[in-house]
Amino acid sequence: MIKTNELTKYYNKNARGILEVSLDIKEGEIFGFIGPNGAGKSTTVRTLLNLIFPTSGKASVMDLDIVSDSVEIRNNVGYIPSEINYYGEMTGEEFLHYAASFYDCDYLAKMKDLSKRLELDLSRKISELSTGNKKKLAIVESLQHSPKILFLDEPTSGLDPLMQNTFFSIIEEEKKQGTTIFYSSHILSEVQRICDRVAIIKEGRIIKVETIEDIMKARAKKVRVKTDKDFIHEDEDIVNIKKENGYVQFVYTGKIEKLLKLLQDKKIEDLTIIEPSLEEVFMHYYQKEDVK
Amino acid sequence: MKTLIKAEFKRNYKSLILWTAIIAGLAGLMLFLFPAFENSFEDMEEFIDIYPPEFLEAFGMGEGGLDMTEIYGWFGIEGYLFVTLIGGSYAAILGGSILSKEEDDKTVEFLLSKPISRTKVLFGKVIVVGINLFILNLVVSIVLLIAFSIFAKLNVAVWLLYSFAPLILQAIFASLSLLVSIFVTKSRKVLSIALGLVIGLYVVDLISKLTEEAEFLKYITPYEYVNAPTIVNDHMIKPLYLLLSVLIIGIAIVFTWRLYLKKDIKT
Repeated sequence: MIKTNELTKYYNKNARGILEVSLDIKEGEIFGFIGPNGAGKSTTVRTLLNLIFPTSGKASVMDLDIVSDSVEIRNNVGYIPSEINYYGEMTGEEFLHYAASFYDCDYLAKMKDLSKRLELDLSRKISELSTGNKKKLAIVESLQHSPKILFLDEPTSGLDPLMQNTFFSIIEEEKKQGTTIFYSSHILSEVQRICDRVAIIKEGRIIKVETIEDIMKARAKKVRVKTDKDFIHEDEDIVNIKKENGYVQFVYTGKIEKLLKLLQDKKIEDLTIIEPSLEEVFMHYYQKEDVK
Repeated sequence: MKTLIKAEFKRNYKSLILWTAIIAGLAGLMLFLFPAFENSFEDMEEFIDIYPPEFLEAFGMGEGGLDMTEIYGWFGIEGYLFVTLIGGSYAAILGGSILSKEEDDKTVEFLLSKPISRTKVLFGKVIVVGINLFILNLVVSIVLLIAFSIFAKLNVAVWLLYSFAPLILQAIFASLSLLVSIFVTKSRKVLSIALGLVIGLYVVDLISKLTEEAEFLKYITPYEYVNAPTIVNDHMIKPLYLLLSVLIIGIAIVFTWRLYLKKDIKT
């Protein structure tokens, strides 16, 4: 459905762009695209939509060339940009009608249904909407014309957790309809939650394309324990141990049962287990890859 | 493209009303002041004799110039400048902002993710600029029609030329500003350059009339292309100037189009 072959976008020395990105995304798949800010996620999406032109390499969407057939491609695409900038003087409703007018389709029912589920007030001017409400508007806008492909660039940023859940169920419904979804994010847990496969992009290059299951094996947790006993030592699952103020902190990549066993019957005053930042996961993950 | 034109028109109609009111209002004001001055022209002529001929030439009152004692000449000297200079400013602002505003506000990211080609986006916007400028001049033409009919026998050719020759000048400024806005996407910067062009070329026009050595400059200023003495005395726009105008507008739009087709949209 979406194919890129050594797709490269070079801006200049300071702005990296993307380098030789090759991907093959199947029809009906939710494909996660994950990496830290500035890694090239938005550049990839914007190149596929022909908002910017590739420096070299080729790409196609639905077997249509991204440069020469971009209008036909966009006729089948919904897009949530990472930053929402719509016409401030329009109301949400005016804007959605305007957006839909570019397609030849029935959209009213879906527009109303989605707006209701997302609790979006369509009568307000866009300039008066909060970031979260603008995001909701973008969600409705990208879906109301029932596109075959969705490009979502950081779609949950600005949404509160409840709305994120609503959003995920909407996306899952779209998937059931056979929509192919390109899901760019820097939040590992949300990609893990809904994607089938994930590409990891770093400094403009794809370092890995994995199924979620494989990524899960390399999942790491950041563990912080308050204890005065010295029972935590580095091994294959415990790395990066730091001790301060009676706390021991480490990155854990093994099975959860094993961690629980380790902590059992010890004198522990406090315990937190949190998702490490993406960088921390990747750092460890790739150290491991290198060892292999 | 129809919906784009409609939305674009809706976005711009308020400023169209404002600019049209100002320009038609000033033109009308000067026209209807004519009777008040008509009787004092004898004094005026003495007054005018004080000035050097070059100076009078620069304001269209020199030899082969305009006759202030009749309404057509009066408008050419006292009112036409509002339509060309202020109308030119409006055209430059409109042409310079119609693309760059979307880039400045970043709404272009939305627009160009829709199934519409950049060619259609550009020409849709060019059409809106054309319609707006036409409406402006149409309103002015009604004011002129009323004034000319009241104060003299209506000369249809002069009336129509006065009404729609400024459209050529405005189109030149609009298309040049549009071209500038491809390179400079900050709306404010585009507008400074565009207005600089409108005022700068007016100064060039004055200079070309003030000194004979600088007369060649008249070929590069749109104010000369549509100047009032030629309209009133010869009932025409010189064919060379008409050709130059069409070329400038055509080349500016084609360049804009080719560049827009290849342009990276910045975030």
